[in-house]
Amino acid sequence: MNEISADSFDINEYLRLELFPHFLCPGCGHGMAMRAMLWAVAELGIDKDNLAIVSGIGCSGRMGAYVDANTFHVTHGRPLAFATGLKLARPDLTVIVITGDGDSLAIGGNHLIHACRRNLDITCLMLNNEIYGMTGGQVSPTTTLTRFTTTTPYGNYEPAFDACRLAEAAGASFVGREATLQVPTLKNLIREGIEHKGFSFLEVISDCTEIYGRKNALGNSPEMVLSQKSKMRPESYGGLMSNKVDQPFRPNPFQTGVLARNERQEYGELCRRHIAAKQQAE
Amino acid sequence: MNDKSKIEKPVNVLIVGVGGQGVIMVSKVLALLCQTHGFEVKQSEVHGMAKRGGGVFSHIRFGPKVWSPTIPKGKADILLALEWAEAMRWLDHLKPGGTFIADTQRIVPPFACRNRKRGAERNYSRETPAEIIDKVKNGYALDAEGMAMTLGNRRVANTILLGVLSTALDFSPESWQAVIEKFVPPHTIETNAQAFQEGRSWTANAVKPLPVVSEAPSAESIDITTELTINTVWCKGCDICVKMCPERCLALNEDQEAVLIHPDKCTGCRICEWLCPDYAIKLHKRPNSQTEGTGAGV
Ligand code: SF4
Ligand code: SF4
Repeated sequence: MNEISADSFDINEYLRLELFPHFLCPGCGHGMAMRAMLWAVAELGIDKDNLAIVSGIGCSGRMGAYVDANTFHVTHGRPLAFATGLKLARPDLTVIVITGDGDSLAIGGNHLIHACRRNLDITCLMLNNEIYGMTGGQVSPTTTLTRFTTTTPYGNYEPAFDACRLAEAAGASFVGREATLQVPTLKNLIREGIEHKGFSFLEVISDCTEIYGRKNALGNSPEMVLSQKSKMRPESYGGLMSNKVDQPFRPNPFQTGVLARNERQEYGELCRRHIAAKQQAE
Repeated sequence: MNDKSKIEKPVNVLIVGVGGQGVIMVSKVLALLCQTHGFEVKQSEVHGMAKRGGGVFSHIRFGPKVWSPTIPKGKADILLALEWAEAMRWLDHLKPGGTFIADTQRIVPPFACRNRKRGAERNYSRETPAEIIDKVKNGYALDAEGMAMTLGNRRVANTILLGVLSTALDFSPESWQAVIEKFVPPHTIETNAQAFQEGRSWTANAVKPLPVVSEAPSAESIDITTELTINTVWCKGCDICVKMCPERCLALNEDQEAVLIHPDKCTGCRICEWLCPDYAIKLHKRPNSQTEGTGAGV
């Protein structure tokens, strides 16, 4: 299955080719994340006319522009709010939100927790590169402790968010995390997220090579993407327990895979049923 | 039956396999069984590279009095191998006329595939079970894992092998079962009992020359040409494909564009295509037979 679709999947069919090459920096992880997303869409056989991509502001937000589908590039932090309205009005569309760590956790933080709470059938892809890349490299809610950014010249001293745990606590019914290094695995995760009926929150560990990598001497693009490997702890290795075992050797290993799944009532359906009942009563 | 006085010299059982298969568990079962029958048992094992899929072996000697813990070459009464190549590696330890029991499953180690080119031959044991069974006097080769799968749990493969082993030793099936029960998770006791019986009955019916090898699909059967195209207009020279290609096929030219320098070495793994953030690389695979006929590209 995997191999067949790797052969027949041609990403160019899903791109607005006239806009290429894209504006992302050399080695930016977002490109790989977008490939995984489009691959998942292709595998699921979703028609481009039935696919809506809503993106916010930031490097991640620009990705919407490159996909040949119904795309919406909206105000900073509001893609989830926009997507909520879209999905309620057009439940037949597959709605994917592409957002970044700053977009969804800082400016759009409230929209995120309420989207999780409502559990509307949307897939939210949060590309986490730990920095505000497009605006010049400011500290973001997920910047690792002690790392340098333009607004933390002495190193970051704010603890970082664990976005997946936040989403799970807020009620997202499908939560997962994967790194851009593992494109096929990431594709499978996104696919599962799209198939899931309810709100899926997927954190994609991505790299900002030009600003974050350079400021913190994390190496060139290949070194950065390869270093993801040593930080990952797939859920199948025993999850949290193995993280603890690793502690002395690997600081802050992040768990990957499907981290939470709880079947809850989907909001759109509930909403429609409720309204229909009320209208009938009148 | 299992009278102590009957056995004067120590009995040598050599159990081999690769890491993670359960060689140590199997030998513990045997060791405990011998102990409960009042024998002196010495077991020595090497499992250093076990976690890396390396070879694991365990010598078990039991009898009224055992001095040395290791079995010399050509002195093993029974060789029990959980993996085919390991069986071949240790064959010279079996004494002439000894009993040879091997699982035909093949676990091909990474260093046997060092030549990753499509169609390259693997450095893996080329002996077939039929050949070996012909040569040894008491030989059994079976696809224990396949049999275990039909029982619904591939993990009971070792118990099937224990069933085969039990026919070569003088202990009652009941005492085997009692010991096995101590080692397996409670909810699998029943399946394990079934598996043990399966092994015994298979041995009773085994006719030479035996078994079907669970042959892995050989690399030779995949006849495919790979072709890589690089869109240099989109390439930003990030170096990712160059550094990540396992075969070192790619390089950056003086214009910082990726170029394919060793097309012959490319195995078509697609890592470069997947990791290129700019979608500059596209890999085409076509079956060789088709391209000749139609001449059409993918
Ligand atoms: S497909 Fe790409 S990464 Fe894989 S061997 Fe060929 S050139 Fe190298
Ligand atoms: S990964 Fe893509 S963009 Fe980077 S050097 Fe290779 S072809 Fe160019």
